Amino acid sequence: MKVLHRVGGALLLIVLAMGLTACGSNNGSDPTADDLLPILLPVGFVPDPQFAPLYVAIERGYYREEGLAVELDYGFETDGVALVGAGQRPFAVVSGEQVVMARAQGIPVVYILQWFQEFPVAVVSKTRAGINTPQDLAGRRVGIPGFFGASYVGYAGLLFANGLTLEDAINEEIGFTQVEALRTDRVEAAVVYISNEPLQLRALGEELNVLRVADYTRLIANGVVTSEEIIANDPDLAARFVRATLRGIADTLADPRAAFEISKNFVEALGDDRYQVLEASLPLWEADILGLTDPGGWAVTETTLLQIGFIDQPLDNINTAYTNRFVEQNQPNR
Amino acid sequence: MIHLHRLQRLPTWVALIISAALLLLGWHLLAELGGYDSFILPGPLPVYQQFMIVAGDGRLLHHTMVTVSQVIPGLFIGCLIAMPLGYLLAKSPLAERLISPYLIASQAIPVIAVAPLLTIWIQSTYWSRVWVAVLVVFFPILINIITGLRSVPAELYELMHSLQATPWQVFRQLEIPAALPIILAGLKVGATLSVIGALVGEFVQPKSQGLGFLLISARYQFKTDLVFVVLFALAAVALTMYGLVVLLERRLLRWQTVSR
Repeated sequence: MKVLHRVGGALLLIVLAMGLTACGSNNGSDPTADDLLPILLPVGFVPDPQFAPLYVAIERGYYREEGLAVELDYGFETDGVALVGAGQRPFAVVSGEQVVMARAQGIPVVYILQWFQEFPVAVVSKTRAGINTPQDLAGRRVGIPGFFGASYVGYAGLLFANGLTLEDAINEEIGFTQVEALRTDRVEAAVVYISNEPLQLRALGEELNVLRVADYTRLIANGVVTSEEIIANDPDLAARFVRATLRGIADTLADPRAAFEISKNFVEALGDDRYQVLEASLPLWEADILGLTDPGGWAVTETTLLQIGFIDQPLDNINTAYTNRFVEQNQPNR
Repeated sequence: MIHLHRLQRLPTWVALIISAALLLLGWHLLAELGGYDSFILPGPLPVYQQFMIVAGDGRLLHHTMVTVSQVIPGLFIGCLIAMPLGYLLAKSPLAERLISPYLIASQAIPVIAVAPLLTIWIQSTYWSRVWVAVLVVFFPILINIITGLRSVPAELYELMHSLQATPWQVFRQLEIPAALPIILAGLKVGATLSVIGALVGEFVQPKSQGLGFLLISARYQFKTDLVFVVLFALAAVALTMYGLVVLLERRLLRWQTVSR
Protein backbone atom coordinates (compact mmCIF):
# COMPACT_ATOMS: atom_id res chain seq x y z
CA MET A 1 0.00 0.00 0.00
CA LYS A 2 2.84 2.38 0.84
CA VAL A 3 4.25 1.84 -2.60
CA LEU A 4 0.87 2.63 -4.14
CA HIS A 5 0.62 5.80 -2.10
CA ARG A 6 4.06 6.87 -3.24
CA VAL A 7 3.22 6.22 -6.87
CA GLY A 8 -0.06 8.07 -6.47
CA GLY A 9 1.76 11.00 -4.86
CA ALA A 10 4.31 11.09 -7.64
CA LEU A 11 1.57 11.07 -10.28
CA LEU A 12 -0.21 13.91 -8.52
CA LEU A 13 3.00 15.94 -8.51
CA ILE A 14 3.53 15.29 -12.23
CA VAL A 15 -0.04 16.35 -13.02
CA LEU A 16 0.37 19.50 -10.91
CA ALA A 17 3.70 20.28 -12.59
CA MET A 18 2.13 19.86 -16.02
CA GLY A 19 -0.74 22.09 -15.03
CA LEU A 20 1.61 24.78 -13.75
CA THR A 21 3.73 24.55 -16.91
CA ALA A 22 0.63 24.95 -19.04
CA CYS A 23 -0.50 27.95 -16.99
CA GLY A 24 2.98 29.42 -17.17
CA SER A 25 3.13 29.12 -20.93
CA ASN A 26 -0.20 30.88 -21.26
CA ASN A 27 0.72 33.71 -18.98
CA GLY A 28 4.29 34.18 -20.10
CA SER A 29 3.84 34.63 -23.84
CA ASP A 30 1.94 37.12 -25.97
CA PRO A 31 -1.61 37.06 -24.59
CA THR A 32 -3.00 37.54 -28.07
CA ALA A 33 -1.04 34.62 -29.56
CA ASP A 34 -4.09 32.36 -29.50
CA ASP A 35 -6.06 34.92 -31.51
CA LEU A 36 -3.54 35.00 -34.35
CA LEU A 37 -4.34 33.20 -37.58
CA PRO A 38 -1.49 30.79 -38.32
CA ILE A 39 -0.21 31.08 -41.88
CA LEU A 40 2.37 28.74 -43.36
CA LEU A 41 3.80 30.63 -46.33
CA PRO A 42 5.45 28.57 -49.12
CA VAL A 43 8.36 30.56 -50.54
CA GLY A 44 9.88 27.97 -52.91
CA PHE A 45 13.49 28.21 -51.80
CA VAL A 46 15.82 27.55 -48.87
CA PRO A 47 16.28 30.11 -46.07
CA ASP A 48 18.09 33.03 -47.70
CA PRO A 49 18.70 36.74 -47.13
CA GLN A 50 16.59 37.48 -50.20
CA PHE A 51 13.59 36.74 -47.96
CA ALA A 52 14.66 39.56 -45.64
CA PRO A 53 11.39 41.54 -46.11
CA LEU A 54 9.42 38.58 -44.80
CA TYR A 55 11.81 38.10 -41.90
CA VAL A 56 11.51 41.80 -41.08
CA ALA A 57 7.71 41.67 -41.21
CA ILE A 58 7.73 38.68 -38.87
CA GLU A 59 10.38 40.00 -36.47
CA ARG A 60 8.96 43.52 -36.21
CA GLY A 61 5.47 42.18 -35.62
CA TYR A 62 3.83 43.58 -38.76
CA TYR A 63 2.02 40.32 -39.42
CA ARG A 64 1.11 40.04 -35.75
CA GLU A 65 -0.44 43.52 -35.84
CA GLU A 66 -2.64 42.22 -38.65
CA GLY A 67 -3.66 39.20 -36.59
CA LEU A 68 -1.42 36.79 -38.49
CA ALA A 69 1.23 34.35 -37.27
CA VAL A 70 3.34 33.79 -40.38
CA GLU A 71 5.86 30.95 -40.69
CA LEU A 72 7.83 30.29 -43.86
CA ASP A 73 7.62 26.95 -45.70
CA TYR A 74 10.74 26.35 -47.80
CA GLY A 75 9.27 23.66 -50.09
CA PHE A 76 9.15 23.52 -53.87
CA GLU A 77 7.65 26.51 -55.68
CA THR A 78 5.18 24.37 -57.64
CA ASP A 79 3.85 22.91 -54.39
CA GLY A 80 3.06 26.42 -53.19
CA VAL A 81 0.82 27.18 -56.15
CA ALA A 82 -0.94 23.82 -55.93
CA LEU A 83 -1.46 24.19 -52.17
CA VAL A 84 -2.99 27.65 -52.58
CA GLY A 85 -5.13 26.40 -55.46
CA ALA A 86 -6.33 23.49 -53.35
CA GLY A 87 -7.21 25.83 -50.49
CA GLN A 88 -4.63 24.35 -48.15
CA ARG A 89 -2.52 27.51 -47.90
CA PRO A 90 -3.90 31.04 -48.15
CA PHE A 91 -0.79 32.55 -49.75
CA ALA A 92 2.47 31.57 -51.46
CA VAL A 93 5.43 33.35 -52.99
CA VAL A 94 5.84 32.19 -56.60
CA SER A 95 7.10 33.40 -59.94
CA GLY A 96 4.64 35.03 -62.36
CA GLU A 97 4.90 32.38 -65.05
CA GLN A 98 3.76 29.79 -62.50
CA VAL A 99 0.49 31.68 -62.12
CA VAL A 100 -0.18 31.66 -65.87
CA MET A 101 0.60 27.94 -66.15
CA ALA A 102 -1.50 27.15 -63.10
CA ARG A 103 -4.50 29.06 -64.45
CA ALA A 104 -4.06 27.30 -67.79
CA GLN A 105 -4.69 24.06 -65.88
CA GLY A 106 -7.72 25.48 -64.08
CA ILE A 107 -5.99 26.22 -60.77
CA PRO A 108 -7.80 29.26 -59.32
CA VAL A 109 -4.86 31.36 -58.08
CA VAL A 110 -4.49 35.12 -58.35
CA TYR A 111 -1.31 37.19 -58.09
CA ILE A 112 -1.80 40.03 -55.61
CA LEU A 113 1.63 41.53 -54.94
CA GLN A 114 4.59 41.82 -57.29
CA TRP A 115 7.50 41.68 -54.89
CA PHE A 116 10.23 41.44 -57.56
CA GLN A 117 9.61 44.26 -60.01
CA GLU A 118 12.27 42.90 -62.35
CA PHE A 119 12.75 39.33 -63.52
CA PRO A 120 15.82 38.23 -61.51
CA VAL A 121 17.41 36.10 -64.25
CA ALA A 122 20.40 36.99 -66.44
CA VAL A 123 22.77 35.42 -68.94
CA VAL A 124 26.33 35.80 -67.74
CA SER A 125 29.57 35.26 -69.66
CA LYS A 126 33.25 36.03 -69.31
CA THR A 127 34.05 39.41 -70.83
CA ARG A 128 36.58 37.89 -73.21
CA ALA A 129 33.83 35.70 -74.75
CA GLY A 130 32.55 38.87 -76.40
CA ILE A 131 28.88 38.26 -75.66
CA ASN A 132 27.83 41.89 -75.38
CA THR A 133 24.27 41.70 -76.69
CA PRO A 134 21.62 38.96 -76.78
CA GLN A 135 22.28 38.57 -80.52
CA ASP A 136 25.81 37.45 -79.65
CA LEU A 137 24.31 34.33 -78.05
CA ALA A 138 23.55 32.88 -81.49
CA GLY A 139 25.70 29.81 -82.05
CA ARG A 140 27.16 29.96 -78.53
CA ARG A 141 27.16 27.20 -75.92
CA VAL A 142 24.80 28.41 -73.21
CA GLY A 143 24.46 26.51 -69.93
CA ILE A 144 20.97 26.40 -68.47
CA PRO A 145 19.92 24.76 -65.19
CA GLY A 146 17.20 22.78 -66.97
CA PHE A 147 14.49 22.94 -69.61
CA PHE A 148 11.94 24.18 -67.08
CA GLY A 149 11.75 26.71 -64.27
CA ALA A 150 11.89 30.49 -64.10
CA SER A 151 15.48 30.62 -65.36
CA TYR A 152 14.51 28.76 -68.55
CA VAL A 153 11.46 30.97 -69.10
CA GLY A 154 13.58 34.07 -68.52
CA TYR A 155 16.26 32.89 -70.94
CA ALA A 156 13.65 32.05 -73.58
CA GLY A 157 12.02 35.44 -73.06
CA LEU A 158 15.37 37.16 -73.56
CA LEU A 159 15.96 35.32 -76.84
CA PHE A 160 12.42 35.85 -78.15
CA ALA A 161 12.53 39.57 -77.33
CA ASN A 162 15.61 39.90 -79.50
CA GLY A 163 14.36 38.02 -82.54
CA LEU A 164 16.12 34.78 -81.64
CA THR A 165 14.75 31.31 -81.00
CA LEU A 166 15.86 28.67 -78.52
CA GLU A 167 17.45 26.77 -81.41
CA ASP A 168 19.73 29.69 -82.29
CA ALA A 169 21.98 28.94 -79.31
CA ILE A 170 23.52 25.61 -78.32
CA ASN A 171 21.74 24.97 -75.03
CA GLU A 172 23.42 22.64 -72.55
CA GLU A 173 21.83 21.51 -69.32
CA ILE A 174 24.28 22.00 -66.51
CA GLY A 175 22.04 21.95 -63.45
CA PHE A 176 23.00 24.51 -60.83
CA THR A 177 26.70 24.32 -61.63
CA GLN A 178 26.88 27.60 -63.55
CA VAL A 179 29.94 28.87 -61.67
CA GLU A 180 32.03 25.75 -62.34
CA ALA A 181 30.79 25.41 -65.92
CA LEU A 182 31.75 28.99 -66.77
CA ARG A 183 35.08 28.94 -64.99
CA THR A 184 36.13 25.74 -66.74
CA ASP A 185 34.84 27.05 -70.11
CA ARG A 186 32.47 24.10 -70.42
CA VAL A 187 29.97 26.70 -71.61
CA GLU A 188 30.47 30.20 -73.01
CA ALA A 189 27.52 31.69 -71.17
CA ALA A 190 25.20 30.56 -68.39
CA VAL A 191 21.70 31.42 -67.25
CA VAL A 192 21.86 32.59 -63.63
CA TYR A 193 20.06 34.47 -60.91
CA ILE A 194 21.28 38.07 -60.79
CA SER A 195 21.75 38.12 -57.04
CA ASN A 196 23.67 34.88 -56.85
CA GLU A 197 26.15 33.49 -59.39
CA PRO A 198 27.49 36.81 -60.78
CA LEU A 199 28.51 37.73 -57.23
CA GLN A 200 30.28 34.41 -56.76
CA LEU A 201 32.06 34.67 -60.10
CA ARG A 202 33.23 38.22 -59.47
CA ALA A 203 34.46 37.16 -56.03
CA LEU A 204 36.57 34.55 -57.84
CA GLY A 205 38.12 37.29 -59.95
CA GLU A 206 36.18 36.80 -63.19
CA GLU A 207 35.35 39.79 -65.39
CA LEU A 208 31.79 39.37 -66.60
CA ASN A 209 29.23 40.52 -69.09
CA VAL A 210 25.73 40.29 -67.66
CA LEU A 211 22.68 40.38 -69.93
CA ARG A 212 19.75 41.08 -67.63
CA VAL A 213 16.46 39.62 -68.85
CA ALA A 214 14.61 42.58 -67.34
CA ASP A 215 16.47 44.97 -69.64
CA TYR A 216 14.92 43.32 -72.70
CA THR A 217 11.54 41.90 -71.71
CA ARG A 218 8.86 42.43 -69.05
CA LEU A 219 8.25 38.99 -67.62
CA ILE A 220 6.44 38.87 -64.29
CA ALA A 221 8.74 37.78 -61.49
CA ASN A 222 8.21 36.59 -57.92
CA GLY A 223 5.27 37.78 -55.92
CA VAL A 224 2.43 36.71 -53.68
CA VAL A 225 -0.50 34.61 -54.85
CA THR A 226 -3.73 33.80 -53.15
CA SER A 227 -6.85 31.92 -54.20
CA GLU A 228 -9.96 33.25 -55.94
CA GLU A 229 -11.89 31.91 -52.96
CA ILE A 230 -10.05 34.18 -50.49
CA ILE A 231 -10.43 37.21 -52.75
CA ALA A 232 -14.17 36.53 -53.01
CA ASN A 233 -14.91 35.56 -49.41
CA ASP A 234 -12.16 37.00 -47.24
CA PRO A 235 -10.58 39.97 -49.03
CA ASP A 236 -9.70 41.50 -45.66
CA LEU A 237 -7.28 38.61 -45.02
CA ALA A 238 -5.53 39.31 -48.33
CA ALA A 239 -5.40 43.03 -47.51
CA ARG A 240 -3.87 42.41 -44.09
CA PHE A 241 -1.25 40.06 -45.49
CA VAL A 242 -0.33 42.46 -48.29
CA ARG A 243 -0.16 45.43 -45.90
CA ALA A 244 2.28 43.65 -43.56
CA THR A 245 4.40 42.27 -46.41
CA LEU A 246 4.69 45.69 -48.05
CA ARG A 247 5.87 47.13 -44.74
CA GLY A 248 8.57 44.46 -44.62
CA ILE A 249 9.69 45.33 -48.16
CA ALA A 250 9.68 49.06 -47.41
CA ASP A 251 11.70 48.61 -44.22
CA THR A 252 14.25 46.41 -46.01
CA LEU A 253 14.70 48.94 -48.79
CA ALA A 254 15.06 51.75 -46.24
CA ASP A 255 17.55 49.96 -44.00
CA PRO A 256 18.98 46.82 -45.61
CA ARG A 257 21.69 46.44 -42.96
CA ALA A 258 19.09 46.16 -40.21
CA ALA A 259 17.08 43.73 -42.35
CA PHE A 260 20.17 41.61 -42.86
CA GLU A 261 20.80 41.49 -39.11
CA ILE A 262 17.20 40.33 -38.61
CA SER A 263 17.71 37.68 -41.32
CA LYS A 264 20.42 36.13 -39.18
CA ASN A 265 17.68 34.97 -36.82
CA PHE A 266 16.08 32.99 -39.66
CA VAL A 267 19.00 31.81 -41.83
CA GLU A 268 21.39 29.36 -40.19
CA ALA A 269 25.05 30.48 -40.10
CA LEU A 270 24.39 33.56 -42.23
CA GLY A 271 27.78 35.21 -42.70
CA ASP A 272 28.28 38.89 -43.46
CA ASP A 273 29.68 37.95 -46.88
CA ARG A 274 26.09 37.14 -47.88
CA TYR A 275 25.01 40.74 -47.40
CA GLN A 276 25.81 41.35 -51.04
CA VAL A 277 23.03 38.90 -52.01
CA LEU A 278 20.54 41.14 -50.25
CA GLU A 279 22.19 44.25 -51.65
CA ALA A 280 21.92 42.87 -55.20
CA SER A 281 18.25 42.07 -54.65
CA LEU A 282 17.22 45.56 -53.54
CA PRO A 283 17.07 47.16 -57.03
CA LEU A 284 14.83 44.29 -58.15
CA TRP A 285 12.21 45.23 -55.55
CA GLU A 286 12.28 49.02 -55.80
CA ALA A 287 9.21 50.74 -57.27
CA ASP A 288 7.29 53.99 -56.91
CA ILE A 289 4.29 51.96 -55.81
CA LEU A 290 5.63 48.90 -54.03
CA GLY A 291 4.20 45.58 -55.16
CA LEU A 292 2.30 46.98 -58.15
CA THR A 293 2.10 44.50 -61.00
CA ASP A 294 2.38 45.47 -64.65
CA PRO A 295 -0.56 44.36 -66.88
CA GLY A 296 1.69 44.52 -69.95
CA GLY A 297 4.10 42.12 -68.28
CA TRP A 298 1.38 39.51 -67.93
CA ALA A 299 0.69 39.55 -71.65
CA VAL A 300 4.43 39.18 -72.35
CA THR A 301 4.67 36.29 -69.88
CA GLU A 302 1.71 34.53 -71.49
CA THR A 303 3.14 34.98 -74.99
CA THR A 304 6.53 33.65 -73.88
CA LEU A 305 4.97 30.55 -72.35
CA LEU A 306 2.98 29.96 -75.54
CA GLN A 307 6.16 30.25 -77.62
CA ILE A 308 8.01 27.77 -75.41
CA GLY A 309 5.02 25.43 -75.45
CA PHE A 310 4.45 25.45 -71.69
CA ILE A 311 0.82 26.42 -72.29
CA ASP A 312 -1.17 25.18 -75.25
CA GLN A 313 -3.44 28.18 -75.75
CA PRO A 314 -3.91 31.69 -74.35
CA LEU A 315 -5.88 32.04 -71.13
CA ASP A 316 -9.52 33.12 -71.50
CA ASN A 317 -8.60 36.39 -69.84
CA ILE A 318 -5.05 37.00 -68.68
CA ASN A 319 -6.24 39.96 -66.60
CA THR A 320 -7.94 37.58 -64.16
CA ALA A 321 -4.50 36.22 -63.21
CA TYR A 322 -3.63 39.29 -61.14
CA THR A 323 -5.06 42.24 -59.27
CA ASN A 324 -3.53 45.47 -58.01
CA ARG A 325 -6.38 46.38 -55.67
CA PHE A 326 -4.66 45.18 -52.51
CA VAL A 327 -1.31 46.88 -53.08
CA GLU A 328 -2.97 50.10 -54.18
CA GLN A 329 -5.07 50.24 -51.02
CA ASN A 330 -2.34 49.25 -48.60
CA GLN A 331 0.83 51.17 -49.45
CA PRO A 332 3.18 51.68 -46.51
CA ASN A 333 4.42 55.10 -45.44
CA ARG A 334 7.89 55.66 -46.90
CA MET B 1 -18.44 -19.12 -49.86
CA ILE B 2 -19.13 -21.03 -53.05
CA HIS B 3 -18.66 -17.87 -55.07
CA LEU B 4 -15.38 -17.13 -53.29
CA HIS B 5 -14.25 -20.64 -54.08
CA ARG B 6 -15.08 -20.08 -57.76
CA LEU B 7 -13.20 -16.79 -57.75
CA GLN B 8 -10.13 -18.49 -56.34
CA ARG B 9 -10.20 -20.93 -59.25
CA LEU B 10 -10.17 -18.16 -61.86
CA PRO B 11 -7.13 -18.03 -64.13
CA THR B 12 -4.56 -15.44 -63.00
CA TRP B 13 -5.09 -13.21 -66.03
CA VAL B 14 -8.84 -13.06 -65.44
CA ALA B 15 -8.30 -12.21 -61.77
CA LEU B 16 -5.85 -9.49 -62.79
CA ILE B 17 -8.35 -7.96 -65.22
CA ILE B 18 -11.10 -8.00 -62.59
CA SER B 19 -8.87 -6.41 -59.94
CA ALA B 20 -7.67 -3.75 -62.43
CA ALA B 21 -11.27 -2.96 -63.41
CA LEU B 22 -12.27 -2.64 -59.76
CA LEU B 23 -9.32 -0.35 -59.09
CA LEU B 24 -10.20 1.86 -62.05
CA LEU B 25 -13.82 2.01 -60.96
CA GLY B 26 -12.82 2.95 -57.41
CA TRP B 27 -10.44 5.60 -58.71
CA HIS B 28 -13.12 7.02 -61.02
CA LEU B 29 -15.70 7.15 -58.23
CA LEU B 30 -13.23 8.78 -55.85
CA ALA B 31 -12.32 11.46 -58.40
CA GLU B 32 -15.95 12.11 -59.40
CA LEU B 33 -17.77 11.82 -56.10
CA GLY B 34 -14.94 13.32 -54.04
CA GLY B 35 -15.37 16.58 -55.91
CA TYR B 36 -11.64 16.97 -56.46
CA ASP B 37 -10.32 19.43 -59.02
CA SER B 38 -8.46 17.72 -61.84
CA PHE B 39 -5.15 19.24 -60.74
CA ILE B 40 -5.57 17.50 -57.38
CA LEU B 41 -6.91 14.13 -58.51
CA PRO B 42 -7.65 13.55 -62.19
CA GLY B 43 -9.88 10.59 -63.00
CA PRO B 44 -8.78 7.62 -65.13
CA LEU B 45 -10.25 9.12 -68.31
CA PRO B 46 -8.14 12.33 -68.46
CA VAL B 47 -5.08 10.28 -67.50
CA TYR B 48 -5.83 7.89 -70.35
CA GLN B 49 -6.28 10.82 -72.75
CA GLN B 50 -2.94 12.27 -71.65
CA PHE B 51 -1.38 8.83 -72.05
CA MET B 52 -2.64 8.65 -75.63
CA ILE B 53 -1.11 12.05 -76.37
CA VAL B 54 2.38 11.30 -75.03
CA ALA B 55 2.33 7.73 -76.28
CA GLY B 56 1.12 8.86 -79.69
CA ASP B 57 3.81 11.46 -80.25
CA GLY B 58 6.52 9.08 -79.01
CA ARG B 59 7.52 11.16 -75.99
CA LEU B 60 6.59 8.53 -73.43
CA LEU B 61 8.56 5.78 -75.13
CA HIS B 62 11.55 8.08 -75.61
CA HIS B 63 11.70 9.17 -71.95
CA THR B 64 11.04 5.62 -70.77
CA MET B 65 13.92 4.26 -72.84
CA VAL B 66 16.24 6.93 -71.43
CA THR B 67 15.35 5.86 -67.89
CA VAL B 68 15.69 2.18 -68.77
CA SER B 69 19.14 2.90 -70.25
CA GLN B 70 20.18 4.02 -66.75
CA VAL B 71 18.29 1.36 -64.82
CA ILE B 72 19.93 -1.63 -66.53
CA PRO B 73 23.58 -0.50 -66.17
CA GLY B 74 22.79 0.57 -62.61
CA LEU B 75 21.52 -2.88 -61.74
CA PHE B 76 24.33 -4.59 -63.63
CA ILE B 77 27.12 -2.57 -62.00
CA GLY B 78 25.45 -2.93 -58.61
CA CYS B 79 25.52 -6.72 -59.04
CA LEU B 80 29.12 -6.66 -60.29
CA ILE B 81 30.26 -4.86 -57.16
CA ALA B 82 27.99 -6.68 -54.71
CA MET B 83 28.89 -10.20 -55.86
CA PRO B 84 32.66 -10.34 -55.13
CA LEU B 85 32.27 -8.14 -52.08
CA GLY B 86 29.41 -10.28 -50.79
CA TYR B 87 31.50 -13.42 -51.29
CA LEU B 88 34.43 -11.85 -49.46
CA LEU B 89 32.27 -10.77 -46.54
CA ALA B 90 30.51 -14.13 -46.35
CA LYS B 91 33.77 -16.09 -46.33
CA SER B 92 36.11 -13.86 -44.37
CA PRO B 93 35.19 -12.92 -40.79
CA LEU B 94 38.10 -10.44 -40.78
CA ALA B 95 36.80 -8.69 -43.91
CA GLU B 96 33.35 -8.60 -42.42
CA ARG B 97 34.63 -7.03 -39.21
CA LEU B 98 36.60 -4.43 -41.17
CA ILE B 99 34.12 -3.52 -43.89
CA SER B 100 30.61 -4.23 -42.58
CA PRO B 101 30.38 -1.28 -40.14
CA TYR B 102 31.06 1.14 -42.99
CA LEU B 103 28.59 -0.56 -45.30
CA ILE B 104 25.87 -0.50 -42.67
CA ALA B 105 26.63 3.11 -41.77
CA SER B 106 26.45 4.04 -45.45
CA GLN B 107 22.86 2.83 -45.52
CA ALA B 108 21.92 5.46 -42.96
CA ILE B 109 22.80 8.16 -45.50
CA PRO B 110 19.83 9.03 -47.74
CA VAL B 111 20.64 8.65 -51.43
CA ILE B 112 18.91 11.96 -52.11
CA ALA B 113 21.64 13.62 -50.01
CA VAL B 114 24.49 11.91 -51.85
CA ALA B 115 23.10 12.24 -55.37
CA PRO B 116 23.90 15.97 -55.75
CA LEU B 117 27.49 15.26 -54.74
CA LEU B 118 27.74 12.52 -57.36
CA THR B 119 26.68 14.98 -60.03
CA ILE B 120 29.59 17.20 -59.01
CA TRP B 121 32.16 14.38 -58.69
CA ILE B 122 31.12 12.65 -61.91
CA GLN B 123 31.04 15.14 -64.73
CA SER B 124 28.81 12.97 -66.92
CA THR B 125 25.11 13.42 -66.21
CA TYR B 126 24.39 9.94 -67.53
CA TRP B 127 26.93 8.20 -65.32
CA SER B 128 26.02 10.20 -62.23
CA ARG B 129 22.45 8.94 -62.64
CA VAL B 130 23.64 5.38 -63.20
CA TRP B 131 25.73 5.55 -60.03
CA VAL B 132 22.78 6.73 -58.01
CA ALA B 133 20.97 3.59 -59.20
CA VAL B 134 24.05 1.52 -58.27
CA LEU B 135 24.01 2.94 -54.74
CA VAL B 136 20.35 2.03 -54.32
CA VAL B 137 20.54 -1.55 -55.63
CA PHE B 138 23.91 -2.50 -54.21
CA PHE B 139 23.04 -3.12 -50.57
CA PRO B 140 20.00 -5.44 -50.82
CA ILE B 141 21.85 -7.57 -53.36
CA LEU B 142 24.95 -7.68 -51.17
CA ILE B 143 22.97 -8.72 -48.11
CA ASN B 144 21.24 -11.53 -50.01
CA ILE B 145 24.54 -12.79 -51.40
CA ILE B 146 25.98 -13.00 -47.89
CA THR B 147 22.83 -14.64 -46.55
CA GLY B 148 22.70 -17.06 -49.49
CA LEU B 149 26.30 -18.17 -49.11
CA ARG B 150 25.95 -18.60 -45.36
CA SER B 151 22.84 -20.69 -45.78
CA VAL B 152 24.77 -23.49 -47.49
CA PRO B 153 24.59 -26.47 -45.06
CA ALA B 154 27.90 -27.36 -43.41
CA GLU B 155 27.34 -31.06 -44.18
CA LEU B 156 27.49 -30.30 -47.89
CA TYR B 157 30.87 -28.60 -47.43
CA GLU B 158 32.07 -31.68 -45.56
CA LEU B 159 30.79 -33.87 -48.37
CA MET B 160 32.66 -31.81 -50.96
CA HIS B 161 35.85 -31.96 -48.89
CA SER B 162 35.50 -35.72 -48.50
CA LEU B 163 35.28 -35.89 -52.28
CA GLN B 164 38.48 -33.80 -52.40
CA ALA B 165 36.79 -31.06 -54.40
CA THR B 166 38.92 -28.05 -55.32
CA PRO B 167 37.87 -24.57 -54.06
CA TRP B 168 36.67 -23.76 -57.59
CA GLN B 169 34.53 -26.93 -57.63
CA VAL B 170 33.08 -26.06 -54.22
CA PHE B 171 32.26 -22.58 -55.47
CA ARG B 172 30.78 -23.68 -58.78
CA GLN B 173 29.02 -26.90 -57.83
CA LEU B 174 27.96 -26.20 -54.28
CA GLU B 175 27.95 -22.55 -53.26
CA ILE B 176 26.46 -21.00 -56.39
CA PRO B 177 23.58 -23.47 -56.79
CA ALA B 178 22.83 -23.51 -53.09
CA ALA B 179 22.89 -19.72 -52.66
CA LEU B 180 21.23 -18.85 -55.97
CA PRO B 181 17.57 -18.78 -54.78
CA ILE B 182 18.39 -16.22 -52.09
CA ILE B 183 20.68 -14.23 -54.39
CA LEU B 184 17.93 -14.05 -57.00
CA ALA B 185 15.46 -12.90 -54.35
CA GLY B 186 17.87 -10.02 -53.67
CA LEU B 187 18.11 -9.34 -57.38
CA LYS B 188 14.33 -9.01 -57.55
CA VAL B 189 14.42 -6.33 -54.87
CA GLY B 190 17.38 -4.68 -56.58
CA ALA B 191 15.63 -4.70 -59.96
CA THR B 192 12.70 -2.69 -58.67
CA LEU B 193 14.89 -0.42 -56.55
CA SER B 194 17.06 0.38 -59.57
CA VAL B 195 14.11 2.23 -61.09
CA ILE B 196 13.85 4.37 -57.96
CA GLY B 197 17.60 4.95 -58.08
CA ALA B 198 17.54 6.14 -61.68
CA LEU B 199 14.58 8.38 -60.90
CA VAL B 200 16.36 9.96 -57.93
CA GLY B 201 19.31 10.61 -60.27
CA GLU B 202 17.00 12.25 -62.78
CA PHE B 203 15.41 14.36 -60.07
CA VAL B 204 18.75 15.68 -58.93
CA GLN B 205 20.12 16.15 -62.44
CA PRO B 206 16.98 16.61 -64.53
CA LYS B 207 18.48 16.65 -67.99
CA SER B 208 15.84 17.06 -70.64
CA GLN B 209 15.30 13.33 -70.99
CA GLY B 210 14.00 10.51 -68.84
CA LEU B 211 10.84 9.85 -66.88
CA GLY B 212 12.19 11.91 -63.97
CA PHE B 213 12.46 14.95 -66.23
CA LEU B 214 8.98 14.31 -67.61
CA LEU B 215 7.66 14.09 -64.05
CA ILE B 216 9.30 17.36 -62.98
CA SER B 217 8.19 19.02 -66.19
CA ALA B 218 4.60 17.86 -65.66
CA ARG B 219 4.60 19.12 -62.09
CA TYR B 220 6.08 22.45 -63.19
CA GLN B 221 3.26 22.86 -65.71
CA PHE B 222 0.65 21.60 -63.21
CA LYS B 223 -0.33 18.73 -65.51
CA THR B 224 -1.33 16.24 -62.84
CA ASP B 225 -2.75 13.85 -65.43
CA LEU B 226 0.72 13.65 -67.01
CA VAL B 227 2.23 13.05 -63.56
CA PHE B 228 -0.04 10.01 -63.27
CA VAL B 229 1.01 8.77 -66.71
CA VAL B 230 4.66 8.96 -65.68
CA LEU B 231 3.96 7.14 -62.42
CA PHE B 232 2.28 4.33 -64.33
CA ALA B 233 5.20 4.20 -66.76
CA LEU B 234 7.61 3.90 -63.83
CA ALA B 235 5.53 1.10 -62.36
CA ALA B 236 5.55 -0.64 -65.74
CA VAL B 237 9.35 -0.39 -65.95
CA ALA B 238 9.71 -1.77 -62.41
CA LEU B 239 7.33 -4.64 -63.18
CA THR B 240 9.22 -5.43 -66.38
CA MET B 241 12.54 -5.48 -64.54
CA TYR B 242 11.02 -7.73 -61.89
CA GLY B 243 9.56 -10.00 -64.57
CA LEU B 244 12.94 -10.32 -66.27
CA VAL B 245 14.52 -11.47 -63.03
CA VAL B 246 11.67 -13.97 -62.54
CA LEU B 247 12.37 -15.35 -66.03
CA LEU B 248 16.06 -15.58 -65.19
CA GLU B 249 15.16 -17.31 -61.95
CA ARG B 250 13.02 -19.89 -63.75
CA ARG B 251 15.84 -20.59 -66.14
CA LEU B 252 18.63 -20.77 -63.56
CA LEU B 253 16.62 -22.74 -61.00
CA ARG B 254 15.03 -25.15 -63.47
CA TRP B 255 17.06 -27.92 -61.89
CA GLN B 256 15.09 -27.47 -58.66
CA THR B 257 11.83 -28.31 -60.45
CA VAL B 258 13.42 -31.19 -62.34
CA SER B 259 14.96 -32.71 -59.18
CA ARG B 260 11.55 -32.66 -57.44
